Amino acid sequence: MYAIKFILNGEQTEYTGNAGDRLLDVLRDTYSLKSVKCGCKEGECGACAVLIDNTLINSCCVAMGAVDEKSIVTMEGFKKTPQFKVLSDAMADFSAVQCGFCIPGMILASHATLLLNPHPSEDEIREGLSGNICRCTGYNAIVKAVKKASEEGDGLW
Amino acid sequence: MVGGYAPATLEKALRIRAEETVVPYAGGTDLMVQNRKNVEYLFLNKIAELKQIKVDKDYIHIGALVTFTQAINDDKVPQIMKDAISKIAAPAIRNAGTFGGNLGNGSDKADSVLIEFAVDAKVRLMSLKGERIVNVEDFCITRRKIDLKDDELIVEVLLPNKPYKNYIYQKVGGRNSLAISHVAFAGLFEEKDGKIQEFSAAFIADAGRFLRFKDIEQTLIGKSKKEAKNLKDKVIKAYSDKIVLTAGRVSAEYRKTVSLNLLRDFLTWFGV
Repeated sequence: MYAIKFILNGEQTEYTGNAGDRLLDVLRDTYSLKSVKCGCKEGECGACAVLIDNTLINSCCVAMGAVDEKSIVTMEGFKKTPQFKVLSDAMADFSAVQCGFCIPGMILASHATLLLNPHPSEDEIREGLSGNICRCTGYNAIVKAVKKASEEGDGLW
Repeated sequence: MVGGYAPATLEKALRIRAEETVVPYAGGTDLMVQNRKNVEYLFLNKIAELKQIKVDKDYIHIGALVTFTQAINDDKVPQIMKDAISKIAAPAIRNAGTFGGNLGNGSDKADSVLIEFAVDAKVRLMSLKGERIVNVEDFCITRRKIDLKDDELIVEVLLPNKPYKNYIYQKVGGRNSLAISHVAFAGLFEEKDGKIQEFSAAFIADAGRFLRFKDIEQTLIGKSKKEAKNLKDKVIKAYSDKIVLTAGRVSAEYRKTVSLNLLRDFLTWFGV
């Protein structure tokens, strides 16, 4: 039996638990990465979204066996990047964060949207964030913040 | 790895499938919601040959591990399929969800499978003993029941290679994103020399299976639009008689009314 090997926020990691364990639970409970929120465990809220090989995926819908040889980035890793700084400043400018529960997933979804399209339209931003539910903000401030980040962070994505 | 297998080749995967009791794991987006206990997964995501989209003279081959996002971005995939899979859930699910998983999950509301019904797709299955190619309507028996043997894996979906110029796809759900279809409709229409050459109408209506009635479709084949127009009410009545729905997430009456409205719109759109 071999361990599940993957890169977690830039560090080579080995997981010796069960391949069927849920990535969301392992990130929170084994690696104490509490930015990864458990909202629904059905892939419907986006609060647990992480980047797997730079692609946005809901970690509640991933078993550990599927991340063997993959690279995973959570908010704990992403916050060290210049892209995070741009997104964070833009969110602050528009008071786009209220309770904050959805924000780690929302930020990673914003980043994933900008990776695919550095200058998205409002509709494209809304599509990019369409899997992330926010119960506080009404979304408009978040969408405006992503638009501003795309302008301020020109060249970063 | 403990509690699962992650082979790098299809041959190894088929061997494990034959020798062990495993649950094939494609994108995981349905399996992980089911949260099955005490199962061993056969992770298929390292098998490169299952992630390919290829075209030959007869078919567009979509590998079982092709994700919806991959297909949306691939010129070889017909627009009718892109229209449907673009409305699946949201980006994070489309990035993981696969064609094989959508079939293997056995849901009667699988958006990609509706299109496969409408276009007469086939499913290629493999085991160590060889391969089987089955019509999608035979593969999907009823909700949660598919024609997949314990030693088989879904390898690819085969869509007939043709232009798909005249079609309609409509999805009716409770919201724009992350919506499970209350009703969905896919229809194909082709005319040649003033006669209807192809007419296909497939429904998702929470009916326990996908609905398509080839006997009714046949009544319009070979007819002119004018002749078909005269038959229109009769055809819709025939569908109304066949679409028998019971309780579901939304009322049976609503689902039936919407199904027939979508059918009528489809016929009207193509001049019938």
